[in-house]
Amino acid sequence: MKPDLGRFLGVAASHLMTRTAPALPAGYEQSSAAALGALMIAVGEEAERAAARRVEENAALRTLFGDAAAHVERAELAGRLERAAAGSDPSLQLSDLEAANAELRALLIELHERVEALGTSEARRIDAAIWRELARSTERRKLLMGPF
Amino acid sequence: MPSLEERLADYVATKLPSAADVRVEGLDRIFGGASRETYRFVLHFREAGVARTRRLILRRDPPGSLIETERAIEFGAYQAFHGSAVPVPEPLWLEEDPKWLDYPFFVMEELAGLEASPQAIVLPPYAQHADAFARQMWTILGEIAKADPVSLGLVGVMQPVEPAQCWQRELEYWEARIDRDELCPQPIVRAALRWCRRSPPPPAQRVSVVHGDYRTGNYLYDDAGRIHAILDWEMAHLGDPLEDLAWGINPVWRQGDKAGGLTSRDEAIRIWEKASGLVADPAALHWWEVFSSIKGQAIWVSSAKEFSDGVNQDLILGLAAWLMGNSQDRAALHELGHLS
Repeated sequence: MKPDLGRFLGVAASHLMTRTAPALPAGYEQSSAAALGALMIAVGEEAERAAARRVEENAALRTLFGDAAAHVERAELAGRLERAAAGSDPSLQLSDLEAANAELRALLIELHERVEALGTSEARRIDAAIWRELARSTERRKLLMGPF
Repeated sequence: MPSLEERLADYVATKLPSAADVRVEGLDRIFGGASRETYRFVLHFREAGVARTRRLILRRDPPGSLIETERAIEFGAYQAFHGSAVPVPEPLWLEEDPKWLDYPFFVMEELAGLEASPQAIVLPPYAQHADAFARQMWTILGEIAKADPVSLGLVGVMQPVEPAQCWQRELEYWEARIDRDELCPQPIVRAALRWCRRSPPPPAQRVSVVHGDYRTGNYLYDDAGRIHAILDWEMAHLGDPLEDLAWGINPVWRQGDKAGGLTSRDEAIRIWEKASGLVADPAALHWWEVFSSIKGQAIWVSSAKEFSDGVNQDLILGLAAWLMGNSQDRAALHELGHLS
């Protein structure tokens, strides 16, 4: 659809922040209108990358699980890691991608806890890989207006 | 149905029995109150035939909030510190009966004409006073840390805690909040929680009053470089004074590379140590810095939950959840040495 979603939200946000908000009496409603404008800018930023970042992250987590499965020294967890590694996103709908991401990140928490407890050299290598992936996950989610 | 102004005037009239013609005018909600609805208003009344006016603040519990807090504790903190080296507005009346305004509330004086914005403090005409603000901000926090909760009368108001248990109580409280409210898995905060349990801090040097949300944005300042009042005591409790120091220097409150937008992390710690007479042991402070990112994430997780569930759809909750969650995760990574 045209105009693009990001463009549309940006223009709408600008309208809210520079025209609607100043026209309101100073106070709660004026600040709410300005906050809504800020929120729309952030939503526009996220909309552009929403599917891409989830697809990328889900793939990265599956790769990590495939690598880790042989080293967790617990058959049940290894089986779930292998099944997750062999999985794929059911569709490119955001809700499907998000549900898959939530399952994968829940499994990541289990894996992380396990390798911390193991303490083997392989476990330490996987632990480092998990931290690198977690850092990348925050890069994918970074917003221009985020404070850090 | 009487207006909120009329209902508030009816209430105030019961608190000022010698007053006549009690009226409330200009009731105006202030944006940004995360845990209470905050309104300013002007109280008019006649006393001994003389017309009087007073600018006041109403803090009312909302249907849902970023954090569930006891308004009696917040009110008690204002009472305890009013008139001390820790500047706060004068608290007037606490009312927990919902018959008056539907929800519990309290009333305190308004310090008008001052600024609170964390964005404005780094801009003219305030930015030139950054050193003075920094000195006051961290000195006042030192005063809070060295204040005696017993002589302040806060021991009966706030739950007691042993020095060795401060960290555990806070960690368990905020972990439970994350368990309850998270809308999606939080691998970074879960890793931070495990780290905190593996590497507990030493017992607190002393049990102090902890403000709980001490940061730029929660105090009132003027354009001459003076801090007039510390606000937002809704998360106040007894605990390790390093908790407040760590929270105030958390990366999410930084502007540029300055803690609270005012000074370096090291200088903030130096000022606090001098004012409090306490030592910010680096390892202990580091633990509380990691903890701060867990607590922060718990607050953003809760705000997302309340906004999503429709419990409270004040835009500040949605905006806070949207903008702060990932930054808080990055702060946790930074504190744990995993952010390049």
